[in-house]
Amino acid sequence: MKSYKTKRAIGNTICYIILILISIIWLFPFIGLVLQSFRSYATEYGGMVDYLVPKHFSLDNYKFLFDSSQTNYLLWYKNTIIIAVFVSLLQTVIQLCVSYALSRMRFAGRTFLMRFWLILGMFPGFLTMICLYFLLKQFGLTQAGAIPGLILVSVASCGMGYYVCKGYFDTIPKALDEAAMIDGATRSRIFFTMIIPMSKPIIIYTALVAFMAPWCDYVFASYVAFGHDTSYNVAVGMTRWVWTNDYQGYFTRFCAGGVLVAIPVTLLFMFLQKYYVEGVTGGAVKG
Amino acid sequence: MKKKLVSVLLAAAMSASLLVGCGEEAAQTVQETAEAVQETAQDTAEAVQETAQDTAEAVQETAETITDYGTGEIKIWVADNVVDFTNEQVTNFIAANPQFAGYTVTVEAVGEGDAAGNMITDVEAGADIYAFAQDQIARLVTAGALEVVEDSNAEAIKAQNDAGAVGAATVGGTLYAYPLTSDNGYFLYYDKSVVTDPSTLEGIIADCEAAGKNFYFEINSGWYQTAFFFGAGAELTYETDDSGNFTKCNSTYASDAGVVALKKIAEVASSKSFQNGSAVSNATNCAAIVDGTWDAQAAKDMFGDNYACAKLPTFEGADGKTYQMSGFGGFKLLGVKPQQDENKLAVCDALAAYLSSEEVQLARYNAVGWGPSNLNAQKSDAVQADEALSALADQLQYTIPQGQYPGDYWSLATSLGDSIISGEIKADASDDDFMKALTDFQSTCESYAQ
Amino acid sequence: MAQGADKKKKSAASLFLGALGNGFKEIGVTFVEGDIKTKLSYIIFGLGPLLRGQILIGAALLLSEGLFFYYMAAFGWQYLSKFSTLGTIATKKVGRKTVYGDNSFLILLFGVLCIFAIIAFVAIWYINVRENRKEELLLKAGKKLPSNKDVFMSLFDKNFHKTLLALPVTGIFVFTVLPIVFMILVAFTNYDKNHQSPSNLFTWVGLENFKNLVSFSGAGIGGTFVQVLLWTLVWALFATFTNYFLGLAVAMLINKKGIKFKKLWRTILVLTIAVPQFVSLLYVMKMFANDGLINGYLIKWGIIKNYIPFWTDPMLARITIIVVNIWIGIPYMMLIATGLLMNIPEDLYESARIDGANPWQMFRSITLPYMLFVTGPFLLTQFTGNLNNFNVIYLLTQGKPQSVNLAEKAGYSDLLITWLYKMTVNDTNYRMAAVIGIMVFVVTAVISLVVYNMLPSVKDEEGFQ
Repeated sequence: MKSYKTKRAIGNTICYIILILISIIWLFPFIGLVLQSFRSYATEYGGMVDYLVPKHFSLDNYKFLFDSSQTNYLLWYKNTIIIAVFVSLLQTVIQLCVSYALSRMRFAGRTFLMRFWLILGMFPGFLTMICLYFLLKQFGLTQAGAIPGLILVSVASCGMGYYVCKGYFDTIPKALDEAAMIDGATRSRIFFTMIIPMSKPIIIYTALVAFMAPWCDYVFASYVAFGHDTSYNVAVGMTRWVWTNDYQGYFTRFCAGGVLVAIPVTLLFMFLQKYYVEGVTGGAVKG
Repeated sequence: MKKKLVSVLLAAAMSASLLVGCGEEAAQTVQETAEAVQETAQDTAEAVQETAQDTAEAVQETAETITDYGTGEIKIWVADNVVDFTNEQVTNFIAANPQFAGYTVTVEAVGEGDAAGNMITDVEAGADIYAFAQDQIARLVTAGALEVVEDSNAEAIKAQNDAGAVGAATVGGTLYAYPLTSDNGYFLYYDKSVVTDPSTLEGIIADCEAAGKNFYFEINSGWYQTAFFFGAGAELTYETDDSGNFTKCNSTYASDAGVVALKKIAEVASSKSFQNGSAVSNATNCAAIVDGTWDAQAAKDMFGDNYACAKLPTFEGADGKTYQMSGFGGFKLLGVKPQQDENKLAVCDALAAYLSSEEVQLARYNAVGWGPSNLNAQKSDAVQADEALSALADQLQYTIPQGQYPGDYWSLATSLGDSIISGEIKADASDDDFMKALTDFQSTCESYAQ
Repeated sequence: MAQGADKKKKSAASLFLGALGNGFKEIGVTFVEGDIKTKLSYIIFGLGPLLRGQILIGAALLLSEGLFFYYMAAFGWQYLSKFSTLGTIATKKVGRKTVYGDNSFLILLFGVLCIFAIIAFVAIWYINVRENRKEELLLKAGKKLPSNKDVFMSLFDKNFHKTLLALPVTGIFVFTVLPIVFMILVAFTNYDKNHQSPSNLFTWVGLENFKNLVSFSGAGIGGTFVQVLLWTLVWALFATFTNYFLGLAVAMLINKKGIKFKKLWRTILVLTIAVPQFVSLLYVMKMFANDGLINGYLIKWGIIKNYIPFWTDPMLARITIIVVNIWIGIPYMMLIATGLLMNIPEDLYESARIDGANPWQMFRSITLPYMLFVTGPFLLTQFTGNLNNFNVIYLLTQGKPQSVNLAEKAGYSDLLITWLYKMTVNDTNYRMAAVIGIMVFVVTAVISLVVYNMLPSVKDEEGFQ
């Protein structure tokens, strides 16, 4: 009995050691990012260095980001929030609609539609970038109009991503609908007053995922903004600091900007993590 | 009004397909809805376009009767760090030329690299006047993104700018752009406390190795690479016709001189001090870097009191001879996009000519330190006294002015450099291997010319 | 298997033909048996329903017809008529003014749209005919037609799916279907940097681009394509399975009885999901650079003499990418596995323990089979997702290192998707980008189809309801 206990204690210790190692590896880049963001711009310049801990700490880089006479960072930030909020709201609404129709109703062409969308999803998204750009341009939604343009494009095609949500609806017993219909409720009434209130976790999951995506979108966003830098989102603006030679000494500023971007998204994610786990697990099982 | 009507139709069309064929033909119907809506959307777009066109025409007509140049919008793309400067100059320009007051000029921060790419992707949406590095000019001409410089301006430009800059702005026999700077060359920045003698490459590398510091040279760039090839005596130039097509390639890379150069590159790359790169702000633990004037301030910040600069060193080839490193002398240019309106084109021409004039080049040097291409501006005391610019001037006597190269050349050169860095081409490979790589390289280069 | 599929196809084809035959028959019968209202409806859409009091349906049909003709006459025809050549009028100069000629891009785009519009028009016409037939039959049977209000209200009940799907389907058509059809057609044109609208025209070239893709000599890119394709497959395989098993392991580690602070460990791990990738991956890229943090410290501490070329050595770059991807992917898999592991009935383990099974045996005979069964489809989507995993590759290496041995600027860590991206954005080589895009589709579709049919857990969609 005693040997079992010691064995278990040893096992747990090893587990703890592994977990601590993993944590260090996982946290290291983020710690580096935060430390670099506080490096003094005045004394150590803003370029790359090969040491982790800055020699002087300062808020220079953050001050730069908040100084709208030097950079449009705050504007980019605002743009990203606007895009994220709208995309999140509209995508959720559309995915709920599509999921309900596909999960609850049986109509001719239903399987055809699902198969067709599945096939469409196999085409790489970047393929159509140039065409989408010119389509948006026809509507005047590039350059100065890039923000509504980006919202439109991400919302327009989101119906194809109904899988997780439909999977959730599939688990709500159909008997509930049938009972309500016998009571004379219309389909729309069932949708609004029964299904939606029951779907809080999946609504939050859908909204969260949709909210997080625009923070990362730099490929298409940079295409649509087409050099109009008041229409950039943070990703487009900041990747330029790293990739183009026009921005010398912006590395620490990039780190500071990255920290500011990470904070709200991470906090939101941490608060809603429970729903996220529910969503991805459900989605993974249903495929 | 038209627009409103169309949106009502749009709604109606959608309900149309919704209502019809209850239940049975759902999928089909839904698809039709999509198409019906699409049609309407198209109509809307068209209607809007039409109205806009009508208005534009009306405006133009009235404009012609009142003033010579009418109104319009001009968009300028320049690098981020000269946006403020350019804005100032544009204000001066409009103030000095009240006849152009009807034009609103906006300046946007689009770097030289992005500008060319964007212009080629969508000429119509691109800027009316934009700055770009000369290696893009042939691409831009082919894509129809550059207007020929007007004859009277062309005369003045040819007379006032250095020959290299004029050559860089010329494709075939036609002048397509306004020279802006003549500082797009490279030389050596180094740390005096580490590198004792910057005159030989071997010495620099030995010093860096001894101090455990890095030596930066961007050997996977077709631009920096030529320092070795041209230095050893190999040649690579292209000829173009007036519309930017490459007609002939003159290359002697597949020669003994080429082998000497490539071998040397591989040898440099095998040093433990060697780092591939040419941006001061991305360099760490750096003791010497081959870079251009645009990084002068950054280099001063990085090296502090030990800051120094010099022309590129000499290197000793495998054949025992000593070669002076060469390279490209390059130029930044200002281009004007082809216009559908002659008045606007005239305004753009005048503005571009102004932005590349002697006084503005000098002012630009004072504001951001870009070395002028204008001969008079080059002679000014401030420019003459600039350390980095004089190092560049020392180097320029060994370089060749950069002519036109096809876009594919640059990425081919990157591939060659990457192959060396990754060890696919090793420093201790046989001369035959080097020769084979160079023969492939040269024949690919030749294939870019039709 | 193949025979079965063949049979299925045949029956589908005969079904389709049958339906088509019935459709034509119905059109004929309707015309012959129909009254004057119905007959006129063959030309004037919705006239029958309008005269019979079905205002909503009739007006909708009539409107669709009106719009179609308006669109075609005012707008569509000028593009559709040039569709076969994609434009012939070149851009020219008048004085110093530039007069743009035909815009091949718009001709192709709106030409495609016109073709869709015509198909839609025929379909609406057919629906119009059937609507007339339906109404006539109802009236003949002495029944009443539904009131306009009923028709409208059905959109919220019996036909609620139409209301729900109208907007999403429209969106997908305009912003997905239309662009995809357009780009597929681009693969058969010479649309590239030398043929760029509006300054230059482009035109149809048939299969030339596909020939270039499979040509292994001279300027052909066949060899490079095979190389990139192979690495894409290898990458997807490694990325999927390393993440899967390591994520599972970490999840089991955290879930182990007696381990405390479970929430803390999980929170630390999921940071990589929460922080936008362009921030974290770009930082990691800089960290592993030849002159970056890691090499810097290793040299300072005297562990290595020369820097390790994490990104510049082809083989090492690929390995580093896979390793960094583990850093990105484990947390995601860990979350999923945590949820699923709880679903495994505890008594299974209990009885196994009584039988004297050790932890490894329990893992192999209980945990793993369960996980594999439940997550089969998930693994497949992960795999196809990884085939197109743009962010990880592009943010870390941008496909580099390039090589003299690879054509079209491909690098050793390029996936098909990053190669496609570079062709589109850096090179405006749309013709080859379109061909590569089609290839990506083919690869994804083939793998999905083959694997999907082999999965044990896919059979019954309704099973869960």
